[in-house]
Amino acid sequence: MTAGLLAAAYVAAFNVARTRLGVPEDEGGRARPGVLAGGALLVLGVVAALAAASGPLLRVLEITPETFRIAAGFAGVIAAAVVLVMPRPAAEPLPRRWRAAVWPVAFPLLLGPEVLALAVATGSQEGVAATVAAAAGALVALFVLGFLPRRPLPDRVLVWASRVLGAVLLLVALWLAVDGIRDV
Amino acid sequence: MARRLLLHVTLLALGFAGLRLAVVPAEVCPVVTAAQVSHAADEAAAWIVRNMRDDGRYLYGYDRDGDEISAQYNGTRHAGVTMSLYQYAAAAGRPEVVAHADRGLAFMLERLTMGAGWEAWRPPGEDVQLGANALLVAALVMRRNATSDPAYDEAMRSVGRFLLAQQQPDGRMYALWDEDTGEAVPVSGKFATGEAAWALALLEGEFPGEGWGEAALPTLDYLALHRDRDEGNLTRMPDHWAAYALAEVGPAGLDGVRRAYARQLAGYFGIRLRFEAQRRGTGINLWLRWVPGTPAGVGTAGEGIAALWRLARAEPGLADLLPNVEERLACFAGMMVSRQATAADAAGYPRPGLVQGAWFYRGYVQMDDVQHVLSGLLAARPMLEQREVAG
Repeated sequence: MTAGLLAAAYVAAFNVARTRLGVPEDEGGRARPGVLAGGALLVLGVVAALAAASGPLLRVLEITPETFRIAAGFAGVIAAAVVLVMPRPAAEPLPRRWRAAVWPVAFPLLLGPEVLALAVATGSQEGVAATVAAAAGALVALFVLGFLPRRPLPDRVLVWASRVLGAVLLLVALWLAVDGIRDV
Repeated sequence: MARRLLLHVTLLALGFAGLRLAVVPAEVCPVVTAAQVSHAADEAAAWIVRNMRDDGRYLYGYDRDGDEISAQYNGTRHAGVTMSLYQYAAAAGRPEVVAHADRGLAFMLERLTMGAGWEAWRPPGEDVQLGANALLVAALVMRRNATSDPAYDEAMRSVGRFLLAQQQPDGRMYALWDEDTGEAVPVSGKFATGEAAWALALLEGEFPGEGWGEAALPTLDYLALHRDRDEGNLTRMPDHWAAYALAEVGPAGLDGVRRAYARQLAGYFGIRLRFEAQRRGTGINLWLRWVPGTPAGVGTAGEGIAALWRLARAEPGLADLLPNVEERLACFAGMMVSRQATAADAAGYPRPGLVQGAWFYRGYVQMDDVQHVLSGLLAARPMLEQREVAG
């Protein structure tokens, strides 16, 4: 997996445009920074932990890393299909203050099954550092997007960007599955 | 909120459970020692020898549940089984097996037909075939390796010239020879082309400088580049004979095309063995993965990955494949040792001698089942021995 593909995989799996549509906002139409940062850091920690534990985890599950890439591809294909059909996330009830970083930002907006599977797949193949770097890059992009006020980013643009990222996820997922099949 | 959380968590859990069941069931690879593999090979060779007929033919097939012996026979499979017996005699250091394999060899040599500068054997009731003769050459080379006896050197060359007579300028091999017209029949055999490439590469090892290796290369290139399109295969064929041929030509015979072909083949055998390791044949796994595959099918994947293991050890450009190739080969050995019919298993059937040492697919064993697994196990043993030495 090239660095570019790895970065694209995480941007698409986190689907920064779709996530931005679901992040709690302040009155100015910007994402609540503490909530977004907290959620992103929590997600980065989970991705790092999964990548670091991918080897032992796959051994316990008796799955070779090559075969798991097929599973990650399947998860990605299904997630991409969901995004293409529903580019806007469902409105979730919002808890007060910092808890919004956990729900709904970290879960279910960011930590979908495709992200969890991708973290294990890339952790076992590309290593923890590359995985965390790619995930961090995608989360920084989300953070930047979160600080832009909504006026230049009407919902229509974000919805289409969400669809485009869904299509990218579909391609990355197919690539992962085929790579898992073709590998030894 | 609790209701939404429960919904999301439930969907996540169901999704992962579905993936686990349908896409990535556990790949179970029993751990076996080189000694266990040797014992399994001994048992397999004993099954072949014990059930030979007086005329030098082997037991073709046996249904243990119906206690029924197959009345069919196949010349290419006969040659393949003979080859594997010689492989066993050489690899296991069992010279006494050569006498039994020689009976199988005699069955072929008694049926040689003459052509323009070549000889080829014609199995009873069958045409003169490329694959059967390629495996006759391979059997003779394995015999030479097991005995150092040069008695059949001229026969090797003579049958080798039949293979060359079937070869076309682009490396393609015609699978049949028509004795009536005295011409090669322009049809391809599913495995015959790879068998012929391997036989030619083996002849180069026995008779270097006679041009056999040069003749093998265009056929290897044909297999790598054109065979699947010409034969209308939807996917590239996982041809273990081609893997044998690549291993035999070694690094000196590799270029970019053949190296890439070796990688592709490693991938085919790899996914085949990974998928096989997911098969339990029971419960929900039966519905999702069906029963464990035919021993011949798994055996050929083992033979192929073992050949590529030998190649990858010698070729730096393929060395990155070694860790996974070794894992798959060890998994193959573990699966097939654990699936072999033991004496205790055999005791429960009317004719235990037809059961012990064999591998069955839904109650039926065919001689190529035992042949391919035997060859694969013999090839896996050195790798396991190396691992044991390395700790």
